[in-house]
Amino acid sequence: MEVEIKVRRFNGEKSYWQKYRVPVLSGMTVLDALLYIKENIDATLSFRYSCRMGVCGSCAVKINNKPRLACETQILQLKDVQIEPINNFRVIKDLITDFDDFFAKHRIVKPYLIRKNDSYEKPVEMIQTPKQLKKYYRYSLCIKCGACNSVCPVSSTRDDYLGPAIMTTVYRFMTDNRDEGKDERFKIVSSERGVWRCHFASECSEVCPKNVEPAKAVQKLRIKSIIYEIKKFFK
Amino acid sequence: MLVDWFRIKGRSLHSLAFSFHRLTGIVLMIYLILHLTYLTSLRFGKESYEYLISLTVRPETLPFDLLLLLATVFHGVNGIRLVIHELGFVYEKRNLILYLTFGIVLIVWLYAGYLMFLLIMG
Amino acid sequence: MKVQHDIVIVGGGLAGLRAAIASAERSRKLEIAIISKTYPIRCHSVCAEGGTAAVLREGDSFDLHAWDTIKGSDFLADQDAVEFFVKEIPSEILRLDNWGCPWSRTKDGRIAQRAFGGQSFNRTVFAADRTGFHEVHTLYERTLMYPNIIRYDEYFLTNLIIEDNEIRGVTAIELKSGDLILFEAKAVILATGGAGRLYGFTTYSHQVTGDGMAIAYRAGIPLKDMEFFQFHPTGLVPSGILMTEACRGEGGYLRNKYGERFMEKYAPEMMELAPRDVVSRAMWREIVEGRGIESEHGAYIALDLTHLGEERIDERLPLIRDAAKKFAGIDPVEEPIPVRPVAHYTMGGIHTNINTETQVRGLYAAGEVACVSIHGANRLGSNSTAECLVFGRVAGERAADYALKKEFRHVKSESFKKEEKKIFDDFLKKSGDENPYEIKKELTKVMDDNFWIFRNGEDMKEGVKKIRELKERYKNVEIVDKSRRFNTDLINTMEIGFMLDVAEVVAIGALMRKESRGSHYRLDYPERDDKNWLKHTLVYYNENGPIVKYIPVKITKWMPVERKY
Repeated sequence: MEVEIKVRRFNGEKSYWQKYRVPVLSGMTVLDALLYIKENIDATLSFRYSCRMGVCGSCAVKINNKPRLACETQILQLKDVQIEPINNFRVIKDLITDFDDFFAKHRIVKPYLIRKNDSYEKPVEMIQTPKQLKKYYRYSLCIKCGACNSVCPVSSTRDDYLGPAIMTTVYRFMTDNRDEGKDERFKIVSSERGVWRCHFASECSEVCPKNVEPAKAVQKLRIKSIIYEIKKFFK
Repeated sequence: MLVDWFRIKGRSLHSLAFSFHRLTGIVLMIYLILHLTYLTSLRFGKESYEYLISLTVRPETLPFDLLLLLATVFHGVNGIRLVIHELGFVYEKRNLILYLTFGIVLIVWLYAGYLMFLLIMG
Repeated sequence: MKVQHDIVIVGGGLAGLRAAIASAERSRKLEIAIISKTYPIRCHSVCAEGGTAAVLREGDSFDLHAWDTIKGSDFLADQDAVEFFVKEIPSEILRLDNWGCPWSRTKDGRIAQRAFGGQSFNRTVFAADRTGFHEVHTLYERTLMYPNIIRYDEYFLTNLIIEDNEIRGVTAIELKSGDLILFEAKAVILATGGAGRLYGFTTYSHQVTGDGMAIAYRAGIPLKDMEFFQFHPTGLVPSGILMTEACRGEGGYLRNKYGERFMEKYAPEMMELAPRDVVSRAMWREIVEGRGIESEHGAYIALDLTHLGEERIDERLPLIRDAAKKFAGIDPVEEPIPVRPVAHYTMGGIHTNINTETQVRGLYAAGEVACVSIHGANRLGSNSTAECLVFGRVAGERAADYALKKEFRHVKSESFKKEEKKIFDDFLKKSGDENPYEIKKELTKVMDDNFWIFRNGEDMKEGVKKIRELKERYKNVEIVDKSRRFNTDLINTMEIGFMLDVAEVVAIGALMRKESRGSHYRLDYPERDDKNWLKHTLVYYNENGPIVKYIPVKITKWMPVERKY
């Protein structure tokens, strides 16, 4: 069986559609199809890929208008296949988009445990019950593929907005019982570029390929921020 | 880009609600300006105000009034939904609540529209 | 363009990130650069699933872990390195704990451990079945804390610059712009990972093409024990996606087409939890002898988890369930998973000593790219992530100490210009009539057919011949994409060149080693031969074909005995 695949190309100057015909077998994913094109039809087609099992987060593209991981999408479950780069990221070439800004924002929010008595030389075993682990575990599963940011209407109009993925990371550390750096992070997320910009379109949760529920994390973070701001006011 | 606020292709009803909320917000803002203009016109005398009213409050403009009413009702009811969610509540039931919101908007709009129809058509 | 950093680390996976942190902790004055082909969290380490072995609890001991490792290695591991290694892991586990790794926990909140193949104690620390993923993210996020760690994401290493047997820096292509960048450095750490994509049926990410190995090899540094390639028993059919050993660690069974737990014939004591080489061989024998389950994707073995129950699978093996559903359309709660042995780990690598030093001053190697060797002829499950953590740290510290004592020496601009010309003028613009991807396809077929689990002299000789033919044909490849910006065609073609070199080393090493040891099993020499072959293979680059040498194995207290499970 053959399927026609329409790909949005960009060569640095102009952007255009290109069609390819690819023979498909059962079990074939969109990534397999893209690789088939690259290896047999058109070697100039460029896209990111790596683990092909949905944990590295490289291959988020827009498939039939919806951001998905190319490696996890079975091609036979789709009727027509139309592939584009994800929105809200600058396109570099074909399906490859610029993630530098995304990762720069990740750095800003201090996404690591902040502990007063952190000793590099003498680490200690910390206690965390399965219940405490469960509180944040889901939010630690984010693979940073950018799918959520690509559908966030706020990210599309504000470059400085942290975006759902990054705020989910913040919430993940804020709910970790081993962490002691909450105030530092509130200063960053309880701001113009943080939680107060979210308007709960909640599309981020709809498209997340790992069901991390970023929209939930941001709302929970907002409540925490409200409490933080009230406390600050009375201090 | 601003058009991204209204990008709904391939997206869920949640995005549609967001887009509609933005759109109705803009519409209501324009209406608010018009409304204030009308009220301001009172300073120039009763006649000018009544002239403006006679231009707009009549059977021919009823469809626009109904649309404006829809915008108001949607923005209000959806706004309440958002406030609830944004305070971190009932996230898991967000689909149900969204359908409910659309339902309530429809019912309120139809009923209010009916009243309005009676009022204008007399 | 030229940049200068005290230490340049190539590779953003577990070992590279750990090395960066170690260097940064050693001195805040050092500038440390991490160059990686992908963003660090897209590295292959995120695919590690099962866990990391560490001695943490009473009842376990360093000697026991060392013994398991050495016995697992079929006595080819250097025992001094193993002894050092097992002592260093526990603190690495705790460090990751302190840095935020979401380790799975026992009821009272302590770090939990699970059973793993070839380990005589339940010592595998884990974070559900996403251990590598969480470890990489934890380390990556930790590196963000240090202002003196500078990242160069999506830079492709092309060469090492060595003068007077001393490292001076590296060259790498910045993918976004397509420019060649010269990194001058006092010390360089290679942490570029294995070479698993040599095989067609493999658990590896697409990018694991042995770049670091090939580049070091071409620069005159020997590769050690490359013939030992691990075949993991359980790769999902047909994609090859890893079904972690933890499936069996948590109690899963392997069954042939008669529903028999055939492992009782091969390893009556440890059954499914025998080391990977033993289980893979057993499975392959079942398949070869016609007891596999037939399917359109070839014969397979059933990995049965149905008796574990939904709750346990969801708690301990969520990713496995998800992957089986998405990629094979099977829910492991209800049906057994179709699996087959799959290429999984490169035991060999760049020859280093216990301090991760190579023969070039200032050049270090750590992680899968290196061969210290602690894995010998067969690595035990959950020792690889442990190796990355321990030897990544060692490399980082050693490199930092070296760099602190050293002055910068500038690289001659000619050598940079020469490299630039070689890549962009000679290689990229060249015309030819070979499709590089066709060569890659044939290469992986040769490796799958001739250097798989059961090997024999005739097939391997044939294989070497074919690899050499492919190398000849490679000289005539043409890169279709002539542009500079993000040219993945250029990168892929260069990778295929690296793969051919590494494949030749694997093939030669395997052909020369006339015995069966660990993962290297020869039908024509089915026995281990300690008298003649208890030694490491070293393969040196030479323009007229590789040169093979041997060095002895370091034995401290465990003499080789028969290996039974």
